Parts: sequence; structure tokens; C-alpha cells
Amino acid sequence: MDFSLRVSWSFFSLVVLAILASGCGAKESGGGTEDKATSASSGGTPASSEETSSAPSGGKRIILITNGNSPFWDACRYGMQEAASELKLGDVGMAAVMEVNDGTPSGQLDKLRQYGSQSDVIGVAMSAVDANNAAVAAAMSKLRAKGIHVLCLDSDVGERFRDARSHYIGTDNRIGGRELGAAARKLLAARGVMSGSYVQFVGRTGAQNAMERMDGFKESVGAVYREADRMSDETDRTRARENVRNAMRNNQDLKALVGIWSYNAPAIVDVVKEQNKRDEYTIVAFDAEPIAVQQFSQGFLDAMVVQNPYDMGYQSVRLIKALVEGDSTTVAAMFPDAGKENGDLYDTGLKVVVPDEKSPLKPEDFGKKTQFMILTEFKAWLDKYGLAGS
Amino acid sequence: MSLFGRSPLTANEMGLLGAIVLVLVLTTLLDGNHNYWNEPWLSAEDIARQTALLGIFSLGAAVVIIAGGIDLSSGSMIAFSGTICATIMVLLAPDAMQNAEPLGLPIIVLAIVGTLVVGFLVGSLHAWLITVVGLPPFIATLASLVGLRSLGRVVCENVTEVQFGGKSSQIQIYDEQFRYLATSVWIPVVVFVVLTVCVWLLLGRTVVGRHIYALGGNEDAARLSGIRTGRAKWLAYCIGTMTATIAGILFIGDQSVADPQTLGRGYELNAIAAAVVGGCSLQGGIGTAPGTALGALFLRVVIDGVAKIIKTGADVYEGLIVGLVVVVAVAFSKFRERR
Amino acid sequence: MTAGSDRIPLVSLQGVTKRFPGVVALADVSLDVREGELHSVCGENGAGKSTLMKVLCGVITDYEGDLVLRGSPVRFERTRDAEAAGVGIIHQELNLVGELSAAANIFLGRELRNSLGLLDDRAMESAAAALLTELECHIHPRQPVAELRVGDQQLVEIAKALSLETEILVMDEPTSALTTAEVERLFRVIGRLRGAGVTILYISHKMDEIFHLADRITVLRDGRLVDTLERRQTNPREVTHLMVGREIEATHLDEPRQPGDVVLSVDRLSLPWPGHAREWRLQDISLKLRAGEILGVAGLMGAGRTELLECLFGCSAERPVGGIFLDGREVRLFHPSEAMEAGIALLTEDRKRLGLFDRMTVKENLTMCVLGKTTVMGFVHSGRENGFAVDSVNRLQIKTRGIDAPVTSLSGGNQQKMIIGRWLLTKPRVLLLDDPTRGVDVGAKAELYRLMDKLCREGLGIILTSSELPELLTVCDRILVLSEGRLTAEFSGDEATEEKIMEAATFGPGVGRSS
Repeated sequence: MDFSLRVSWSFFSLVVLAILASGCGAKESGGGTEDKATSASSGGTPASSEETSSAPSGGKRIILITNGNSPFWDACRYGMQEAASELKLGDVGMAAVMEVNDGTPSGQLDKLRQYGSQSDVIGVAMSAVDANNAAVAAAMSKLRAKGIHVLCLDSDVGERFRDARSHYIGTDNRIGGRELGAAARKLLAARGVMSGSYVQFVGRTGAQNAMERMDGFKESVGAVYREADRMSDETDRTRARENVRNAMRNNQDLKALVGIWSYNAPAIVDVVKEQNKRDEYTIVAFDAEPIAVQQFSQGFLDAMVVQNPYDMGYQSVRLIKALVEGDSTTVAAMFPDAGKENGDLYDTGLKVVVPDEKSPLKPEDFGKKTQFMILTEFKAWLDKYGLAGS
Repeated sequence: MSLFGRSPLTANEMGLLGAIVLVLVLTTLLDGNHNYWNEPWLSAEDIARQTALLGIFSLGAAVVIIAGGIDLSSGSMIAFSGTICATIMVLLAPDAMQNAEPLGLPIIVLAIVGTLVVGFLVGSLHAWLITVVGLPPFIATLASLVGLRSLGRVVCENVTEVQFGGKSSQIQIYDEQFRYLATSVWIPVVVFVVLTVCVWLLLGRTVVGRHIYALGGNEDAARLSGIRTGRAKWLAYCIGTMTATIAGILFIGDQSVADPQTLGRGYELNAIAAAVVGGCSLQGGIGTAPGTALGALFLRVVIDGVAKIIKTGADVYEGLIVGLVVVVAVAFSKFRERR
Repeated sequence: MTAGSDRIPLVSLQGVTKRFPGVVALADVSLDVREGELHSVCGENGAGKSTLMKVLCGVITDYEGDLVLRGSPVRFERTRDAEAAGVGIIHQELNLVGELSAAANIFLGRELRNSLGLLDDRAMESAAAALLTELECHIHPRQPVAELRVGDQQLVEIAKALSLETEILVMDEPTSALTTAEVERLFRVIGRLRGAGVTILYISHKMDEIFHLADRITVLRDGRLVDTLERRQTNPREVTHLMVGREIEATHLDEPRQPGDVVLSVDRLSLPWPGHAREWRLQDISLKLRAGEILGVAGLMGAGRTELLECLFGCSAERPVGGIFLDGREVRLFHPSEAMEAGIALLTEDRKRLGLFDRMTVKENLTMCVLGKTTVMGFVHSGRENGFAVDSVNRLQIKTRGIDAPVTSLSGGNQQKMIIGRWLLTKPRVLLLDDPTRGVDVGAKAELYRLMDKLCREGLGIILTSSELPELLTVCDRILVLSEGRLTAEFSGDEATEEKIMEAATFGPGVGRSS
């Protein structure tokens, strides 16, 4: 009896020690929190700058908070790490890390509050998962009052809470939505589909970036086509696919499927493949997860509007470093219109990608600031930056 | 079992107090920035609020466990009651809610009272299912676990559609007065302390409290001693849901949104863990209010310690470490019991 | 088979001491068991008999002292070791797996396998059948043991011991649940076992069995060995005297009690039995109980004695039909709380399971029913509560470390007194006692009888059920007999005899009814 008790306790203590040891070693981590489903693997993101990014104790941290988990954020992390090494953060005692959120505003609220009681945080860039959540905005303001720099990236807070952050770095989502809508309209017309409905698929309908994209899309695609639904999946990949299936089943006149967050595109394509209905739908989407790029090559997507998460990560780190060091030149360069309306927004740019030259879409169909690429050009761009997706 | 009258704290509770101090000291030492040493007040505020929010419905869970039952629905009840509170506010003042205007005290009070009434009804439903229909508590509260959350979502979508013109899966809360209930640290803490004292008095010094211990210890003997076990269970389950209701009201103020889909997911297990670490036995008949309160404090102190020591990505380890800690705490107290 | 008294003893326990927290269960016990004898071990409850047997059989492994088997010292780490050494035990609470068959139980842990490595049920069943026939047990080896009568279950356990080739068999109170015929069968089986050379250790209370079977008798008291006697050189009275340490006189009553007015009256009470062929658990029971009277209820197991008491306490499974009158007023008893308020108290048969709050203290157990009387402004007043508890302890002379001691630290007899104390605090008019002296040792029994007498003199009416006829004859003023749910006889204390009661209990209604 006694012997086995002793053995159990020793084994137990070893397990505990092992866990604590691995925990203390993992200063730089970005593992998913309560992930509801596994994300598509992002394979090729190198981890070369890991060592320079680890936070020495006594060092300062710049933290990027995501809205969920997906390859989009892997690209963002890569940009963050490149910025950290190129700008030599380690030399000035700083480090950049990414924290992954569980898809809820309360998750972000807890993180922000925790930073308030930790003295080594100097800057936070967050993709607000719920634009109108007053508690999150209040927590952000509290951090600013403490002297911590707070930005939004990828998805901003709502109009009334703009004071909670100093700047926004990301895509102009309204324009992004409009470009995607323009693409969809032209594609449908090219196929001779002059009426019908479409469904937009997104993670959370309350996210600012989601609202702006969907509204922009609706404006731009025209009243000829009916928006049948906006379906949310709360970052649950299984639900994302379920939503697509339900949409197809419930709408007889469905002609187009629109993916708004990065993992919606693969979800749509999976279901379309499964049901063998590629020819019935026009499929357009935001963002290019590695799987989506592959599916695009196979001809399953008609057009993609691609953001630049790499740049979002890069610029966030650059901006926070500049703000901390009082580097007004860099800040002014990034925000030439500071003080004017929307002068606190930094546009990381959009690309529209089409499969090949035979696509009915042409560069003229889109805004001047939007880069137009065919797939091969896009892939080259990815290779240049060492990314697997964007 | 400790009753107010002898030493206020049992050996288990003293041990827990010691463990809390130990974890605080460990965190101060292992934390690279020594946050507890340099700026204790910030962390203390955070821990205090979190402990109060957890502790309020852990007390309810403990009362049910002491009475020999189990309540798996606390998390869903938090979601449901939060949704009901927001719903009442939307029904009474749809424009104010939509445009982020202040609601005014009368509406807030009405919403809170209405929600408490709903909490009482759900608790009575549990008691009815368990005593009259005869369902095992595990099954009855498991049904609530799934059912209440879903019902909350239905209510939320219908109300927002009717009042705001568009279906929404959540209701935003902007009213500063209402939010103050939760964002001020001292209100949740005072509510928590008052509740702890009330439950302590109820369990330790009233006839019905003693009957609850008897019911949990040996239900047949209790009945044969003339105790009306049905009524005692009713009281216990109502305390369970009403504390979850109070917590739900505070949570939606804290998070400024009532989201029945995600609010309180998994919280019931935290409450049960707090109760068990604080000395409750899942077989019933054993446990105290101060023990449960200390159990909640212990859990939050551990979670904060993990966040301070591991810094980035601490939430990945949170569940693992809390699980380990619960196992160690309960094994330790069993070990001491046996000697 | 003679027990060789000059050979090396088969089993020798030397200086065995076992301590538990707070109590010494065995203190320096040395006992020799000769090969082939039937050695009986007696003692009151708590004397240490079970503990001693558990040491012998490997259930208790950390003890002081030595165990010597066939001349060489051994130390068992687990029961398997004891089994391998040839020591087996038939526990009082049988150790069988109800859902498995008799054959499966016999071979549990040593199942026979066929050439493929799978269970060989055929072989096991035929081996089991052979063993069972030897033991006069006529059951099918494939029958699940839960369906067997207790007597047959016991023989399955003996068959298991035999198949293990046990040489030393310990039997713990084997006849407590057997019918007369089964007891006689068991004795024949024991005779056969002895003929085959098995040494038997026989634990029992019952003097007639011991003096029928034993070669030698060992008496334990309070964890010590008092004496070991040759059966032929002693008598039951001497053995009882050694067990208790004092003379037990037959309980004398100073003067007969004068019963007062009728306090409880039952008019044609019937208890439905849904789903059974007989339809009624109890049928047309009528009785009267006077203040100051002890009314006994006799009957076989299953006659309905407990159910009758449950009806009078409001805790029967179904609602009874018929009238119950307290002091002439009809009462409806649907819940024990109502019975309590009316002034009726019930001591259940299974006091551990249904009477004790084992995680509470003595004080809390005592005051459970009268907490309402201890409150000041809604809160329980500890001064008043302590007062009630101390009163009870003194009045009933409950032996305890203190009122704040855990109730599990009390002995069986004191626990019983404690439960009585709990009910006495409710100031009942009628006390219902369901087999109150079961499992209580001889000394405590006498105390309980005296207590009952005292309470009656104070004006209580008592209804008492018991399986021990001598007890009923000693204590009761009148005796009712139930058989299969009906009242078959009523005797006054003087005219009742064991035969008459037995007749009424076994032959059904309509026989032997007197005034």
C-alpha cells in the first residue's frame, strides 16, 4: 500500500515538474486557445526569428492579439517577427509576441485586464472581435491611461469607441467589400446570371471588419441580386461548413457564395466539392489561406480579394516601436493625414487575384489603389516574402 | 464539519489559506517583473473581482452539493439569466439599448428583479424534476445545461428581431450605471462577502441548514427523522440557480454584452472545483461556505499566478494547471482525512 | 476424528495485537487451534472475534505478533496468500457476485480454460455440480446466485472453499439467516467436512449450536482472550458469564405495570401491494395499544411486521387504507414529519443505514428531530442544543467521549441508545421499535429492556417487533402474531408460549386466536 502510494506521488511530481519546465520555456508562444476546430495547417511559415523574439525577463513586450486562429494570423505573425528582427527590437530590450484569442470578446477582455497588472507591456495591437463591446473598449482606454500604446489591426472598434485606440492598421474593409462586390457582379454578368441571391459567410457578424466588408459587398454587387443571408459560425470550422450546406438547401435561387473571413473560402469549397456543384455557383472570397490558394489553382474559386496580414504585423510592430521611442518622423510618415478625419488609419492595401488572363475581370474594374494580379503573379509575390498564404 | 460557534475555520480551510499565501509568494518570486511586489493593487483588484464573480455562483453549487445533489447547469444559467436581464431591458427601453443611451435606475432595478424571479422559477423547476418526477439530479441539470443555453439564444434572437428589426445573437449593454455594478471592484466583492456570510449562517445556524446537511449525509435517515426532504431540496436548488442568476447579471455588466452562445461556457466545472477544493464532498453532507469562498480565491490566485509567470500564451496552460491543482488539493485533503 | 492434544497445533496465533485509531481491537491474544477440531470463538459484539479472524485470513495485514502455521511462522500480504496456505473464510455477509452463476462464483479468479484459452463453462459447471451435490445443495450450477435462498448461497461459498482445498475453514455466524431445516443441513455438511479432515473455526453467539458442535470454546472479551475451555468441561451459563464478565439474571420486573387508557388504535388497516399476486401487503389489521403497555409483534420474515410499523409512521411505500386513531382522534399520516408531530416515533430495523448521520457528531444526531425547539430568533442556539444533548446522554447513560465526538466512535449498543434518545426528545406518546436488539450484545440488551420498562412506567406505549421469541416473552405485555400480512393471533403475556406463537406465525390465519 505505502509503496504504491509513494510511486504514484513521485510519478505525479515528475509530471508536474515537466509541465512547469515546458511552461517556463515557452515564453514566445502563439498556440491556439480553446480552438473550436483545427485550422488548416500553414506548413511553410519559417520560424527563423524565434530566438530574437523571445522575451528576456526585464524586457518589454509588444503584444498582438488576434481575433481567432487561422493561417491569416500566421502570415501576420511572420510579418511581426520580420519587423522584430529588421528593426532590431532585441537591442533596445523589446520583444514582439502574438496572443491568440478564443473568438469571444470576453477572451480579449481578460487578456487586456491581465496586461493592466503586468508592468512589462508597452504596446498592444488588437483585432477587435466585437466592434461595439463597451467593456473591451473601456479596458483598452484604461491601458492607454497607463501609458501603454493601444492600436487596432485588421478589425477596428466601432465609431463611438475610436478613442480607445490611437491608430488603426489594416485593410479599408469597406473598399475591400466593394471590390469583392464589383468582382462578383462582373463575374455573374459574364455568366449571364442576371438575378438570384447570394449568401455571405463570416465568423462573427459583430466584428467591424465583417460588417464593413459585407455592407461594402452588398452596395457594390447591386440591388439586382438579393442578399439572402449573412451566416456566422463563431470561428467553428464545422459550423462554417454546415452553414454552407444549409444555405444551399434553403435558397433555391442561390447563385453566389461569398466568404468574408479567411477560413470561409476553404469551407465553401469543401462543401461545393462534396456536393459536386461547382458549376452552379460563383464563389468569391476574402484572404488566401494556403489551402485556398491550392483550391484556387484547381479552379474552385473565381476571385479573391487578398489582404496583407504580413504588412499588418510588420507595421504594427514598427508603429509601436516608433511611438515608444518618440520617433515622430516615422509616425508622421505612416500617418500623413494625422489630425484629419480618418487620418489615424493606415491602409495595408488590397490585391484582387484572378485565376488567369481568361477571367472576365480586368484591372480597370477595380480601384486605383488595388493591385490586380493573376494567380501566378500572386504566387510569385508569396514566394518573395516566404509566405504560404496571405 | 465546522460550525460557527467553535473555531470559525476548519483544518481544511486553514490549510487552504496557507496554500493561497504560498502561491502568492511563489508567484512574486517566479514572476520576472515581480508585479505583486511592485504594483500589488492592480493585480489585487483583478483577482478580487474575478474571485467574487466565481465565488458567487460557487456558493450556490456548494449548497447543492452539500444537500447531496449536483447542479451541472450553472454556466448555462449564467448565460440564460444574463440574456433574460438584457431582454427585459430591451423590452422596456428598446431605443435606449440600441442607441447606447442611459436606461435609468427604475428599468435597471426592474430588470434585475425580473431576472431573479426567473432564477427562482428555474430552481423550482429543477427541484420539481428531481423530487416529484424523480429524475436523478445529474440528468435534470444536464438537461438544463443544454436547454437553457438554447432557450437563451432563441429568446435573444426573437427579441432583437422584434425590437431592433434584425436578428442578433447577442445584446450589447452600454448603460454605465448598470455596468458599474460589475466594473467597480467593490460591488461584486461586497455582494460576494454578504452572500458568503448569509450562506454560512443559513447552513451553520438554522434548522433548515442542518436539515440540508442531514439530507446530504443520509437522505433516508433524514426522511425517517421527520425532515421534509422535498422542501430542503427545493431550497438548495433555488439557492443554486439564484446565485448563478446574480452572477449572470454581474457578468453581462462586466463584459458589456449578453451572448447566450458563449457566456459562462464551462463555468459550472469551475464552481464545482471551487466547492470541492474548499472542502465539499461530492457524496454530500460535508462542506462550508467559507471553505468554498477560499476555494474560489485559491483557483483565481493560481490562474493569475500562471498568467504572471508564463506571461504570453498563459491561457493555453490555464486549464491544465487548474485541473492539476484541483486533483492535488482534493487528494491532499483525502490523505489527511485518512490519517 | 480425535483432536490430538499433544501434537503441534495446526494454527497458532501468538501475542497478536491490532490497534486502530482510538481503540485497541486485539490485545496480546494467543490462541492455538488443533488439527481437525471444531473450535468455537465467542464474545460480545466488539470483543474482537472478527478482527482476529481477519488477521488469520489475510484481510488485516499489519498487526503486531506472530501467526504460525504448521510450525512455521507466516505473514500474509493478502487474502490470496491465506487461500494458498489453505485458510478460507465464510463471511457473515456473503462474498458472492449476484449476477454470476453458482459455478462462476465457485471458480472466481481461477476460471477453467479450454485448449483455446477461452472459458470452459462446461467443465466448471460439472465440477460445481459435483461439489454442490456433496453438500446436499440441489441448485443448478448455472443459476445466478442472487436468485438463491441465503442457505443455498452459503453452501455455494462453502463449495468455493472446498474447491480451494481449504484445510482451515472459518465460519462467521453462519446460521443467522437460516431456517431450521437449513441449519440441520449445515450441521450435516459440517460433519462431512470434519470427516474429510477440515479444521473449523466457528464464530457464534448461540449457545445451543456451540454446545452441539464444538470441541473447544474460546471466549474473547474487550480484545483479550479470557479463556479456552474444553466443551465437555463447561456449560452455557459459565461461557455467557465469561463473555460478559458479570452474571446476567433474567430480567425481573419489580412489579407488573398497569396499562392506562388506549393511546393508539388501529381499525382495519390494509396496505396495498401493487404488482403482486396477493394484492395486499397487510390486510385488515386492527389493534389497540394502551399507555404503559409493551405490545409485541411476532411473525416470520416477510410477514409484514416492519410494514405495519411503517404505516403507523407515515413512511410506507404505498398509502394505507383504514383508520389510525391517536387518543381517539383520527390521524392521517402521510409523511414521517406528520407522525412525529402527532407523537409517534419509529426506530428502524437497519439503524446504520436508516438511523445514523455518520458524518455528524453525537450532539447533532441527538438533536436532529427537535432543532425547532432550540432556536432563538430563527437561529439555532448552541447553548440550548448542548443542553438537550447532555440531558439525553445522561438520562440514557450513553457511553461517549463527549457530545462533540463523531457518532461513528460509538459502539453498536450506544448508537442504538442514541437513536432512542433522539426520539425521546420529541416526547412521543407511542414508540415503535423494529427489532431493536438485533446485533446488540447481551449486556446492552438487558439495559434496553430496563429502559423500555422505565419508559412505559412514564406513560409511553411501545410496539415492539422481534424475531427472538424469548425476548418477546420476557418483555411484552401482549403479543400479536402476523402471518402473510394478516393478524392471526393475539396472546396476553401469561398465556403466550413459543409453540403457540410459532403455530400462529406459520399456519396462516384463523388458528389460535384468543380473546
